[in-house]
Amino acid sequence: MATRTATSTIGSGQVGRSVRRLEGAAKVTGRAEYVHNLRLPGMLYGKIVRSTVAHGRIRAIDVGAARALPGVHRVVTIADIRAVVPEPFYGPAFHDQPILAVDKVHYVGEPVAVVLAADPHVAEAAAQLVVADYEELPAVYDEVEAMTSAAIVHDVLKPAGTFPDLKHLQGRRNTNVALDFHLRRGDVARGFAQADHVFEHTFRTQQVLHLPLEPFVTVAEAADDRLTLHTASQSPSFVRIEIARLLGWPENRVRVKVPYLGGGFGAKLYIKLEALAAALALLVRRPVKIALTMEEQFYTLTKHASTFRIKSGVKDGRITARHCEVWWNGGAYADIGPRIAQKSGFTASGPYDIENVYIDSYSLYTNLTPAGALRGFGIPQLVWAYESHTDMMARALNLDPLAFRRDNILREGRPQATGTPMQDAAIVAVLDRLATRMNWGKAFDRGTGTIRRGRGIAIGFKASISPTTSIAIVNVAADGSVTLYCSTVDMGQGSDTANAQLVAEVLDIKAESVTVVHPDTDVTPYDMATLGSRSMFHMGNAVKLAAQDARDKIAALARELGLPKGSNVPVAELFQKKYKMQAGNIIGVGSYIPAYAPPDHDTGQTPNATPFWMVGAAGAEIAVDTETGHVRVTRLVNVADVGRAVNPRIVETQLSGAAIMQLGFTLQEKIELDGGQIVNASLADYKIPSLLDIPPDMHSEVVEAEQHSGPFGAKGVGESGTFAVSPAIANAIDDAVGVRLTSLPLTAETLYRALRAAANDPLED
Amino acid sequence: MIPFELAEPASLGEAIKLLDPDDASVRPIAGGTALMLMMKAGVFRPARLVSLRAIRELSAIATQPDGSLRIGAMTPLSVLERSAAVRAHAPVITQTLRTLSNVRVRNVATVGGHLAHADPHMDLPPVLIALGAHIAAAGPAGERTIPVEALFAGYFATVLRRDELITAVMVPAQGTRRAAYLKCTTRAVHDWPALGVAVSLDRDGDSIRAAKIVISAATEKPVRLPGAEAALRGGCDDAALRRAGDAAAEEAQTISDGQGSAAYKRQLVRVYVARALAAALDRAGATH
Amino acid sequence: MNRTIHFTLNGESVAAEIAPHQNLVEVLQQRFDLFGARESCAQGLCGCCTVLVDGSAVSGCLFLAAFADGSEVVTIEHLAANGKLDPIQQAFIECGAFQCGFCTPGFILMTGQLISQHPDPDDDEIRHYLAGNLCRCAAYPEIIEAVKLAARNMRKGV
Repeated sequence: MATRTATSTIGSGQVGRSVRRLEGAAKVTGRAEYVHNLRLPGMLYGKIVRSTVAHGRIRAIDVGAARALPGVHRVVTIADIRAVVPEPFYGPAFHDQPILAVDKVHYVGEPVAVVLAADPHVAEAAAQLVVADYEELPAVYDEVEAMTSAAIVHDVLKPAGTFPDLKHLQGRRNTNVALDFHLRRGDVARGFAQADHVFEHTFRTQQVLHLPLEPFVTVAEAADDRLTLHTASQSPSFVRIEIARLLGWPENRVRVKVPYLGGGFGAKLYIKLEALAAALALLVRRPVKIALTMEEQFYTLTKHASTFRIKSGVKDGRITARHCEVWWNGGAYADIGPRIAQKSGFTASGPYDIENVYIDSYSLYTNLTPAGALRGFGIPQLVWAYESHTDMMARALNLDPLAFRRDNILREGRPQATGTPMQDAAIVAVLDRLATRMNWGKAFDRGTGTIRRGRGIAIGFKASISPTTSIAIVNVAADGSVTLYCSTVDMGQGSDTANAQLVAEVLDIKAESVTVVHPDTDVTPYDMATLGSRSMFHMGNAVKLAAQDARDKIAALARELGLPKGSNVPVAELFQKKYKMQAGNIIGVGSYIPAYAPPDHDTGQTPNATPFWMVGAAGAEIAVDTETGHVRVTRLVNVADVGRAVNPRIVETQLSGAAIMQLGFTLQEKIELDGGQIVNASLADYKIPSLLDIPPDMHSEVVEAEQHSGPFGAKGVGESGTFAVSPAIANAIDDAVGVRLTSLPLTAETLYRALRAAANDPLED
Repeated sequence: MIPFELAEPASLGEAIKLLDPDDASVRPIAGGTALMLMMKAGVFRPARLVSLRAIRELSAIATQPDGSLRIGAMTPLSVLERSAAVRAHAPVITQTLRTLSNVRVRNVATVGGHLAHADPHMDLPPVLIALGAHIAAAGPAGERTIPVEALFAGYFATVLRRDELITAVMVPAQGTRRAAYLKCTTRAVHDWPALGVAVSLDRDGDSIRAAKIVISAATEKPVRLPGAEAALRGGCDDAALRRAGDAAAEEAQTISDGQGSAAYKRQLVRVYVARALAAALDRAGATH
Repeated sequence: MNRTIHFTLNGESVAAEIAPHQNLVEVLQQRFDLFGARESCAQGLCGCCTVLVDGSAVSGCLFLAAFADGSEVVTIEHLAANGKLDPIQQAFIECGAFQCGFCTPGFILMTGQLISQHPDPDDDEIRHYLAGNLCRCAAYPEIIEAVKLAARNMRKGV
């Protein structure tokens, strides 16, 4: 096995080529495999009965009428589940989430029972007949209120044993704080005291949804003391380990298979339906499929709403001190929220060189649908605040927003707030390229009459999650054809194609000739998960090492066969020579884990916070209809540092796709609540961008800047396009009409009201 | 969805017999795009659906001797959209259809179903009211004619009886009248309207005759705004259009929902009524 | 209350026993193992369930299967039935006009309808015609490009 730092090799032209997606034909013919398509003999459909109250003690669940409906196989509550899973609590950071509600419900939509039937229509009809009786409890929905609220979501905190930095939270009571992260650098109090100007603003983001068009779906089958899960999951290895833990089984009795995903965006991580489907299959000894509806996605996982209070001291045009307080609305279960509060929290002061930094970042429980990572792992929420703040300061100081950023930007080699020196982060190059593409120094048509135009820029950065492992296997068959085994999930980002390119580059073959085996934990090796733009870097390094290992073994075989060094004998002939027939394999293995130093618990300081930095900047030109507040984005420019683009075409689609998604979160999308009840849980009322919502002029561009530790200089790109879109647009609105919006989304009504308020003629409520 | 009986009569008379004046769980189904949504959401659980799809007599578009255009109730919206007769008769209908729902829904949904559904967010009702259209409705007692303006009783409610069916829409000859429809959305460009404004007017030099101004979506049903119409009697310069907008905002009973507050929608009414009038007058600045 | 419907499916005469409350997508999946039309939003808004009935695109999730009786139904699987991708499919691959692929069959079928009505569509026509199809991966710029390429190739008879 090759475990070492990847080194650069001379390529064969496979990396850097816009190879068409390997699965293209399968997708355009409708034949691509999704779990959605899977039906097994004897399969039952499970329909979930969900809580109608936000916080309450379960008095009783009456399943009589549901059970009596013809065609119903079984109605299951937590008491039944406990027969097969005695301790039915799961989660990546906290073991707080039950397979079905235990004693209490913590949000509207929480699963409390399941109906099983061979006909999904019957299961659905029966689910509506289940009646649960609750004793309602006080609830809390707002993340800032949750800090001090008398309503406590969980009686006691139950962190998973896996994270040392969560240990201090074990057994805590009377708190909604699931994690408090602190960073201390320099002396902010002195910084503020010595500053010429001090600015303080508060920004908010709303609760939004991943909304993959393939909703969550899992099929479980149990046979002969083994369990197989076919699941639309971004983290098959995690699912295997967590299900094995819940069942008290060894990992090798749990098999997790993942075909293509119809989108993920961070929703389909950790355990979603898998534990429930597994328990049901074990309980009834028949295959069970649970396929959620679009509506049910709203009751499964959201993106964190957040509040960010940011305060900066400026002296002679330089930001000298920054105080950040961030509250993350984690909903009823922690999911990966605490990791977001920490891993993203430490970049809350932005890509600026600031001597004195103070960050408090809190992950909070509330009585809402749980929140998790969504294309950016918390970063878009932070950039929204610090880049709006940057522009507000520049405006107040009468400084050009670009010049103000340039004067404060975090340059290569300088320490970030954690103390980690910046390395291979093309922040300056990205900002410069954005300025060029925006024609920033040139005159700009500002509109007339009721149409006012403005432009804005913003830049953000992200530290990749760490430390995480990826393992890959490259199998060279006796005819020389090559198969890659890895557990990276292709949910649309093109990882199959990109990984094939890496293999092909090393082995000097065509990427199109490589077969990529989809995640199957019986077959493909461990990978932490497909998340946080980590795969291109982590799995990419593992894949490259595996291919190099195979290449070295091919060379060794040639030597063994007495061939001179550098001889060009085709691989198939080597096998033929050795085995006298078409037989045998060469197996190359690669395992990769980057170096990392955990942050100090009290100060957040570390010499090595992350294996790589991602940088994304956006510029927007917008037009405001001052009579209605409608904002039209006429031009949207995105620039990102992606290291080296392995597949330029796919990279560009990743950037623009991410930017458009964030455009939806900026202007359109919001989960609307009435108390704890979601009132717009459908695409009819929760509007995601369509072709008519995208700017007529969109430009996405890569600044190629070698990531020296990345495979062939590459790094992750899936999230960079989301970082800076929201503040760029808010900054452009301010530029156009002199009004500052501090809460997302920037709806027409919000802006119109702000315009009226600014004119001292507020619109009535 | 739960099982139900699906009846597929071949004639109008048969269909009417299959309906039940006293049973809300028996309903006619035409294209079914709206009913299916209600059934899937569990808000409508039919015992029997009476499909009108086999009734051939309901799907013709023909110009009548009096110059009006008669559109069979079972005409799919996409047929209406592409009809040369409709375009010649009232181009505003053709324009309205382009942004009405989406192509697939327009291929299946029918003009009769569109009206009978009485969702205030439908686009054609305000347009048809502005054009002075009527519907023909058939029931056990025979056929009657109802102005579209009088068809809607409230939110998702019409004046039709449960055993009455819309059979046709009649759009009178428009002569020199000009019309416009503006759809204002607030959550996405492509959405149901937060406000629909239809106007129809006859211009005589500097004055406007018999203007009709109708708003929908922002109100619980499509309504004419007589105050705004009256404000145009003084003329048709920009100031008159603004006065009409102000009068409209004054009299519109807007409602708050996910597409905006009542106060904001009043502002939209103010702006869009003036813009729709400008559009009908072919004046610049009509649309944003 | 079940009934047997007869229709033409991708060029072949077929029959299926259906319940009145089943929609067309369910029947295609359960009776004919065709999964290219898939229910996503369940409201006719996303276009993932697009099917052609008598030459017109419909949302299969809102279309009662009973209504398909006697009709001609075409699904995405018919486009490359002879093993050769059609020009729209080729253009989508060439332009990288998809990521996860879940919405792709719907976009491709709708593009076929669009080009049959507008052989040389401009941006505005494309955006309006396809506004009822949603792509959460937002490969929209590439989709516009693919539609234009397909239209160009089809006009040239490629």
